[in-house]
Amino acid sequence: MKITAALAATAASFLATAALAQYPERPIQIIVPYSAGGGTDLSVRLLAESLTRHLPNARVVVRNQPGGGGSIGTSAAIHARPDGYTLGTGAQGPISLLPHMGGTDYQLDEVGFVALFGRNLQVLVGCANAPFQDFDSFMEYARDTPVQVGNSGAGGASHISAEAFAKVANVKIESVPYPGAADARTACIGGHIDAMVASPAEALAASEAGQMTPIFVMEDERIDLFPDTPTAVEKGVDFTWSSWKGIIAPQGLPEDVQATLQQALAAAVEDEEFLKAMDDLGEFVTFEDSEGYRARAEADSEIARQTIDDLGLTGMNN
Amino acid sequence: MDILSYLLPLFDLEVLWVIALGTLGGLIIGALPGLTATMGVALLIPLTFGMQPVMGLNMLIGIYIGGIYGGCISAILLRTPGTPSSAATVLDGYPMALKGEAGRALGMATIASTIGGLFAAVVLATLAPQLAGVALRFGAAEYFALALFGLTIIASLSGDILKGVISGLLGILIACFGADPITGGLRYTFGLSGFASGFAFTPALIGLFALSEVFTQLERLGRDEKVTLKVAGRWPTRADMRDSRGALIRGSIIGTIIGIIPGTGSGTASWIAYNEAKRSSKTPEKFGTGYPPGLAATESANNAVCAAALIPLLALGIPGDVVTAVLMGGLMIQGLAPGPMLYVTNPDVVVGIFGGTFIATIFMFIFGMALIPVFSRILMIPKHILAVTIVVFCFIGSYSINLNPVDLYTMVGFGVLGWGMQKFGFSQPALCIALILGPMMEANLRRGLLQTHNDLGAFLSGPITLVFLGLAALSLFLPLLAQAKARRNQPQLK
Repeated sequence: MKITAALAATAASFLATAALAQYPERPIQIIVPYSAGGGTDLSVRLLAESLTRHLPNARVVVRNQPGGGGSIGTSAAIHARPDGYTLGTGAQGPISLLPHMGGTDYQLDEVGFVALFGRNLQVLVGCANAPFQDFDSFMEYARDTPVQVGNSGAGGASHISAEAFAKVANVKIESVPYPGAADARTACIGGHIDAMVASPAEALAASEAGQMTPIFVMEDERIDLFPDTPTAVEKGVDFTWSSWKGIIAPQGLPEDVQATLQQALAAAVEDEEFLKAMDDLGEFVTFEDSEGYRARAEADSEIARQTIDDLGLTGMNN
Repeated sequence: MDILSYLLPLFDLEVLWVIALGTLGGLIIGALPGLTATMGVALLIPLTFGMQPVMGLNMLIGIYIGGIYGGCISAILLRTPGTPSSAATVLDGYPMALKGEAGRALGMATIASTIGGLFAAVVLATLAPQLAGVALRFGAAEYFALALFGLTIIASLSGDILKGVISGLLGILIACFGADPITGGLRYTFGLSGFASGFAFTPALIGLFALSEVFTQLERLGRDEKVTLKVAGRWPTRADMRDSRGALIRGSIIGTIIGIIPGTGSGTASWIAYNEAKRSSKTPEKFGTGYPPGLAATESANNAVCAAALIPLLALGIPGDVVTAVLMGGLMIQGLAPGPMLYVTNPDVVVGIFGGTFIATIFMFIFGMALIPVFSRILMIPKHILAVTIVVFCFIGSYSINLNPVDLYTMVGFGVLGWGMQKFGFSQPALCIALILGPMMEANLRRGLLQTHNDLGAFLSGPITLVFLGLAALSLFLPLLAQAKARRNQPQLK
């Protein structure tokens, strides 16, 4: 009796470890819904490399599936087989913004969140020849004259954040869409627009060279890279915004797989080599578990829903 | 002394080896349809993480230079532009291969690529900071005028101007599918979510040129079995070089200028260079029939773009084209912020990159020339086997870019379209140019109107705008005049 129980227990624990040891037995794919070489793509590649060091036996392959502002690759990840071998990159645009405009074959509540690993902090910068040099002169100017703010694509994060800020701060802006952040940045340095929303990495070198002027940071507190630049919050405008990315999966992953993944990701994000490379890339690393990640996505989705509705873009692609 | 000490590390055997490997890898990536230089650079960036900055970056630059060059190989041998930048190379390259002059065509293309590459590298190393400022002056109106000028090429490229214009308009219509550049709204997607970005460009190009050619070949199968198996040497003749002198100079200069302007790339440059070479030639009628100066123009231009696109990147921190945008990521991963400060903080990296572009171009020349006999063997493959192989490559190439099944339908659709166009004398190049430039023209027209509150006058002011609009008028009306003159003269000849 005792022996059978002991045997059963051993067998059970053996099976359990066997099941755990089984994942991953094949290469894990992470879909990036953008072309190779962009900021999100590069950081996922760095994460994948780090993950192989912290998930025993893992081989991680990054697969680019661009198009539709990220909705095509995101859809592929959400609709994959929920076995932990196809994961996706959950970026703010395709998850929290695009579904409001329609044309996506998924909604926020169909996303399986695993863990968030990075945020892109946002700085509003004045461009070459802009008629304002700091927060106060920006606000004064923008109260009467619409500021032309470049963004990296209509309906994208930098468009929504600029419009949402303008509404909260009660200032006038005119959004000027470009095909991507690089194009908007070029127009900004060339003085063809008045301002743009940029990431610290995009803005740092140009600000030091006098090609751009940081106006305010969209965080609660000042950031290390721009210690002299105020936040909107401290200037009395209650507005924060950052874009983010994490690892998503189809809903219904086996519990042990979800746990193994989350644990490995937590370790991969703290890997020193990873942190150093992300720092050089100008990426802000932060870890949030699936609950925190989901809460963030839902909160941003709500801000975006209102802004997109105000802009008259709701359901435009249905 | 300083410069010399910065260049010295480049001549380390390991560094040279890595640059050579990058260039050869790029050459192969470029030659395979659907794999572009952009993709090659992006996929290999992680390999550079552990390398010294100069070594890693120059490997990427080798891939870039080799990749843009490699496109000419399949363009000449198979009528399949390996990358969009070699679409114009098809026009004279493939007819030469059909005439049994594949070796000479590849030789000419290699020499032209080298000359264009070296020319732009010299400009990069000497004038980068001065020239980069020009890039900043391009706003919506300037880009619109440039795109309009590019589109007027259609008039002189098509034998039948009416059919050429119809082809071009069809291309502009096709380019309207997908997301609206200003509102972000989806247009004509028929509810297909995989179609949200419109027709993918490279699959369209592969279908338009490669698959359509397979269809045409299949039609002829059994009818004319006279296949030219001769490859005939690899060096262009002295007469070729003499005829091509103007085309090489113009191509190098045009490629360099277009390369410096951000947001435009080697595709645009090679078409404009081709047109300028044809327009200024004493024998424009020979273009498109397998005429070496046509190759000289496109290949010198597209490789000049490589080094030139680095000019605004290194001097201002603004990438000149898609590949350099990816390279910028590579620089940043090394902890280097591209921009005016880079010259001050890391002159070793800047000088190292200058040197690397020269070295990679030389490697490209050596590999290109050495491998011509190997590549040319492709033509020895029996036609029916070759046709099947090309079809397989068309599918793999089209799918591998975005992993989007819709791209396969796009490729096949454009294959049928291209075949029909060829059959009824409509211009495939005209359609291709419209696909490249149509979106640029539309987005900048509408962005400009948005910014100026619908003031059309803004599109008619500014020196750069006026120059391009003038060139556009010239390029549009000269072929029309020439045609009218030819028609007037014809009766007298009879």
